[in-house]
Amino acid sequence: MSKLLKKSLWVFHLNTGSCNACDIEILDVLTPYHDAERFGVKLVTSPRHADVILLTGPITIEALPKVVNAIEAAPRPRVVIALGSCGVGGGIWHDTYSTIGGVRGLQKILEERGVVVDAFYYVPGCPIRPEALLYAVAVFKGLVPKKVKSEIKHAE
Amino acid sequence: MSEKLKPAKLLVIASKAGRVTKRYPYDEPLLSPDFRGKITIDENLCIGCGACVNACPPNALQLMKDKDTVVLRYFVGRCIFCWRCVDVCPVGAIKGLREFELATNDISDLYVHVVHKKAKCEKCEGEGATQRMLYYVVQKSPIVEEYLNECPDCRRKSFIDSVVKRRTGGVSE
Ligand code: SF4
Ligand code: SF4
Repeated sequence: MSKLLKKSLWVFHLNTGSCNACDIEILDVLTPYHDAERFGVKLVTSPRHADVILLTGPITIEALPKVVNAIEAAPRPRVVIALGSCGVGGGIWHDTYSTIGGVRGLQKILEERGVVVDAFYYVPGCPIRPEALLYAVAVFKGLVPKKVKSEIKHAE
Repeated sequence: MSEKLKPAKLLVIASKAGRVTKRYPYDEPLLSPDFRGKITIDENLCIGCGACVNACPPNALQLMKDKDTVVLRYFVGRCIFCWRCVDVCPVGAIKGLREFELATNDISDLYVHVVHKKAKCEKCEGEGATQRMLYYVVQKSPIVEEYLNECPDCRRKSFIDSVVKRRTGGVSE
């Protein structure tokens, strides 16, 4: 699906104020049971080594400057994958005073700061199942088809 | 415990444990029977009442109104899969699915819209609820026919008018 994600992905896990459920599931994906390393996924400890930023949480105001710094530190082409309901849409916190409501608020702020992100990807779930994350990696690598599509239904 | 395992011993342990890795994207996922996934809205049943919108904790369901239509919008990206909407829907239009593979590269994939027609008021330019909801209410409780196609404001006015007419001895209706 994406040229940017063809090679082995080195991911940097960036928690921006999440409740730790998605974070635990990310670790679960790396266990022998689900074994994301089959797809070449490797967790790295610095954004400077990362191809992909795995962003969890609704991005609290407190975390925002650090999030921007971390994303800026990743080398181009940089990709952000927003995980979980909080990362994608702000989740249950989408309109609270202390968060910016997920990755879509972040997109605007990054644009203003002039930080280019080559692609955003979205993986909803609350929390994301480990399988959902594996499926996401497979979708982005073009191994399996994408399942969701937007619908407009008319009630006549 | 810290004693090093000989490779031969390791092989024995590994062969006992066997392969634990799931071949997931090419296999069935491990879902428990009570797993909750995304929801689907049956457009043939939904009446656009907004009960689910009130119940939804993260506002993943929203009612958006404009001149002729009421749109019920479902944003999967914000849904927490609590299924409260399934419980509150008075007509059972919402079904919970066991789908969780929602990865996408385009955020507009995550929206579902259900478009309702608004009921038009006979007398003024005003508007009321959806056409569907009107039928639903009429089926549930008998209301006076001539108020049916009016907006709430006109209904109030017509009711007061008819009371005034009765009071003054005029013929109502
Ligand atoms: S509660 Fe049911 S009928 Fe009412 S708007 Fe929601 S889906 Fe439609
Ligand atoms: S499952 Fe819960 S969060 Fe999702 S749309 Fe229904 S009420 Fe809202």
